[in-house]
Amino acid sequence: MNFELTEEQKYIKSAAKEFAEGEFKPEIAREFDQKHEFPSAIYKKAAKLGFIGCYFDEKYGGQGLGLLENVLMEEEFCRVDSTLGSALFAGLFGSDMILEYGTEEQKMEYLPKSAQGEWLSAGAFTEPAHGSDVTVMDTVAVRDGDEYVINGAKTMITNAPIAEYAVVLCQTDPEARHKGQSLFIVKKGTPGFDCNELTGKMGIRASLLGEYSFSDVHVPKEALLGEENRGFYHFLQFIDVGRINVAAQSVGMAQGAFERALKYAKQREQFGRRLADFQVIQHKLADMALDIESARLLTYKAAWHVDQGQIIPKWACMAKTLATTNAMRVVSEAMQIFGGYGYLADYDIERYYRDIRISAIYEGTTEIQKNVVARILLRE
Amino acid sequence: MREIFVLTEHRQGQIRDVTFEMLTKGRELAGKTNTELTAVLFGKEVKNHAKILSDYAKNVLLVEDAKLENFNSEAYQKVLSNLIRERKPLLTLIGHTSFGVDLAPSLAVSLGTPLATDCVDLEFEDEKFTVTRQMYGGKVNVNAVLRKAESYIATVRQATFPVEKGAPMNGEIIEVPSPLSEEITKKRFVEYVLPPPGGVDITAAEVLVGIGRGIKDESNIPPVEELAKVLGGALACSRPIVDKGWLPNDRQVGSSGRTVKPKLYIALGISGAFQHVLGMKNSDLIIAVNKDPKAPIFGVADYGVVEDLFKIVPPLKSKIQELKG
Amino acid sequence: MDIIVCVKHVPETAEAEIKIDGTGKAIEKNGLVFDINEWDDYALEEAVLLKEKFGGTVTAITVGSEDADSVLRKCLARGADKATRLTDPKFEGSDGYAIARILAKVIKDLPFNMILTGTQAGDDGYAVVGVILAELLGIPHATMVKKIELNDEVAKLNRELEGGLEEIVEVKLPAVLTIQTGINEPRYVSIMGTRKAMKKEIKVLGLAEVGLGENEVGEAGSWIKMEKMYVPPVEKQAEFLKGSPEEIAVKIAEILKAKGLV
Repeated sequence: MNFELTEEQKYIKSAAKEFAEGEFKPEIAREFDQKHEFPSAIYKKAAKLGFIGCYFDEKYGGQGLGLLENVLMEEEFCRVDSTLGSALFAGLFGSDMILEYGTEEQKMEYLPKSAQGEWLSAGAFTEPAHGSDVTVMDTVAVRDGDEYVINGAKTMITNAPIAEYAVVLCQTDPEARHKGQSLFIVKKGTPGFDCNELTGKMGIRASLLGEYSFSDVHVPKEALLGEENRGFYHFLQFIDVGRINVAAQSVGMAQGAFERALKYAKQREQFGRRLADFQVIQHKLADMALDIESARLLTYKAAWHVDQGQIIPKWACMAKTLATTNAMRVVSEAMQIFGGYGYLADYDIERYYRDIRISAIYEGTTEIQKNVVARILLRE
Repeated sequence: MREIFVLTEHRQGQIRDVTFEMLTKGRELAGKTNTELTAVLFGKEVKNHAKILSDYAKNVLLVEDAKLENFNSEAYQKVLSNLIRERKPLLTLIGHTSFGVDLAPSLAVSLGTPLATDCVDLEFEDEKFTVTRQMYGGKVNVNAVLRKAESYIATVRQATFPVEKGAPMNGEIIEVPSPLSEEITKKRFVEYVLPPPGGVDITAAEVLVGIGRGIKDESNIPPVEELAKVLGGALACSRPIVDKGWLPNDRQVGSSGRTVKPKLYIALGISGAFQHVLGMKNSDLIIAVNKDPKAPIFGVADYGVVEDLFKIVPPLKSKIQELKG
Repeated sequence: MDIIVCVKHVPETAEAEIKIDGTGKAIEKNGLVFDINEWDDYALEEAVLLKEKFGGTVTAITVGSEDADSVLRKCLARGADKATRLTDPKFEGSDGYAIARILAKVIKDLPFNMILTGTQAGDDGYAVVGVILAELLGIPHATMVKKIELNDEVAKLNRELEGGLEEIVEVKLPAVLTIQTGINEPRYVSIMGTRKAMKKEIKVLGLAEVGLGENEVGEAGSWIKMEKMYVPPVEKQAEFLKGSPEEIAVKIAEILKAKGLV
């Protein structure tokens, strides 16, 4: 057993740190947050340096690294800035499914441009009528000769307003529920495929959100991703990896908030003493460190299993649950240490507080995670 | 009698201040070590300089040669090493300037003479030559001893020793024939260039707001520039800001930039490395804002604020606006 | 164009609080972040830019402990082809002269057209290593270089002088150039570069392999020896204004008003 990162992993982490510290200035992050804008220029820069899609094979524009390396970079980016870090690491959302289930043609068409930062992608699963319940879809794809015709709607889709393509989960056999679902790649600009931006998000505002509508959208049969009627199962695997990424993001944000609070506690004086000299603050700091370290260990473990070739839902769900729950607590405590100043936008904690909240909701709510974990435990 | 050499630094017809600073310190050291102070002057048609120097030194060694018209470390090294070998001075002082940095280390190697660079103080005591230097950007001082030798070389930080003229020494001007028989082949001076001027002359401003590393990002500059405007002044900066390309070169205050003397200098996020301080320490009123209470800038400022500059700039700007109505 | 870059692993102290350690001759290194010396960072970038333009190789060399590998890995990741670390307990206490002597002994057997290094290091600030190295190798040098143009065997350089002035000089190659900050914009380390760097070997040489005697390195081989380190005496101290940012702003405004500056 070995808890040390490899030398290469340490250097990868330090490269990510250097980039993020050089590029993610709080003022810039605040601006993207206020304007609800995706940081395209920074994204392209990060992609050119190999920080985006590092787990893609080299022939698909990636670095041939594993999920753990991706986790390390994501953690580092989100530590330095919650808003920019989370937006950058969501840029490839959905494209992982092409990596996993795509044909060679599909991979070559979509992945290199995605990993190089030229194309953003989206994963369209959630529907207005069925939030967490993905066992049945109202969006339907019907075979018509060499084509499929898609009708329906998807909502809460990250990157939708700016994505070049979306991976869409559709019902191909309406009777078979989750055993009759399939994935399709739908390109931006396909007639009948429209997007509407959703605004007014509480946090992660540099990452854009939208809803899709499909009205008689014709896609060639080559747009089918993976096996017909196995879409739901493909999706489950994909979402487990996504959950580990959310866990990494949460660990990073928590670490960032903790470091800011720690520094502040050492500087700020109250009643003639530094905040850090009060036992109540010391306990807070110790608890925060504990929350972070335990979440990190479980997150790395979950990612490590994936890199060993086993996507184990239990670890993914546990890591996400622990990391997001702990991170929300850490960020909240960080704000408490900052007091009134923490509530102001000038002291980034306010942004971290808004940005961390979604982590317990997307990629399956904490409640859904616990359902999965419990189901597995009872079955074991 | 043994000597202390001071190498004269001159450029474009002017003897540079560091020369007189070294001569002042050299006079003190010569008194203490019972040696003679000798100014060493190289150039082409520089007798007028020799005359000025004779007020400050017991001897002026003058070597004139067309090849010595402009500073060239290769030529200077040949001439100076000859003089040092011949006259064996106890100590040779050279400015820690662009010229000195280019000359002293190779000169020392060629002579096998110990060298201490960037000294802020020098002392001979019981055959021991001790220098004071700074490390870590001026955050600590170090006393260091040179290996015992017949002769030493030291480069001296600019603007460290005040210039005192003292009674004229009526030094003897000794013309030494140039030993440069051959052409200088490895290094050639081409010309001086002054980067094109920008729109603002900071040396003329009555109020300057100087920014340093603490500004963190280019996007933070506009609000500070507004503060400068509200105060009726201009924006200046320390070296890192120019290195990053955030402000043009002519906004730089310090030894490699401009020397300024405004009525008010507000230093924001400037730690106060000596190179910067050199350029602004004679301002009438200096106010410094820095997060590090031990930042050297607080040693030259009249008023100090230990705080994040970003927290001070907005309220300060509005207070000044209020005052102005 | 084969270029050697001499780099140093130093603590970042510009914005850190510094304490002197128990020996009274060094600073407390715990808690400080180490990285490539800022001036060397620009030298490395310049070397890689020249290589990208003219072809050839870049070799990074450092004198330092094993910790300095992180700096060499960074050089490799940013485009250096080879890296060598000169390490020996006997090297400790070396001044700029002894360091240059160690470097010269190794470099003299390597092929090169140019040696680049930072004008000075952010820790000791001697500003001597490059020039001494040149003299020991018997080649010309130029310091405080802000621009390099290459024509055949001659480098046309801008050197930084005081007061915003620069001078243009020509130097015959091979030569040592010491680089001033701001000459270029150092790039980030990429993941591709990092992976490439990890596959490369860092050559490590000790005193014996370098081929110097014990008395030629460390304190014994140095010109200057540190006696004492201390916090500079405060000659003048600013009057500190305290309070909330708003209160401080009011105080400053009052001072400016009293002095007739507003």
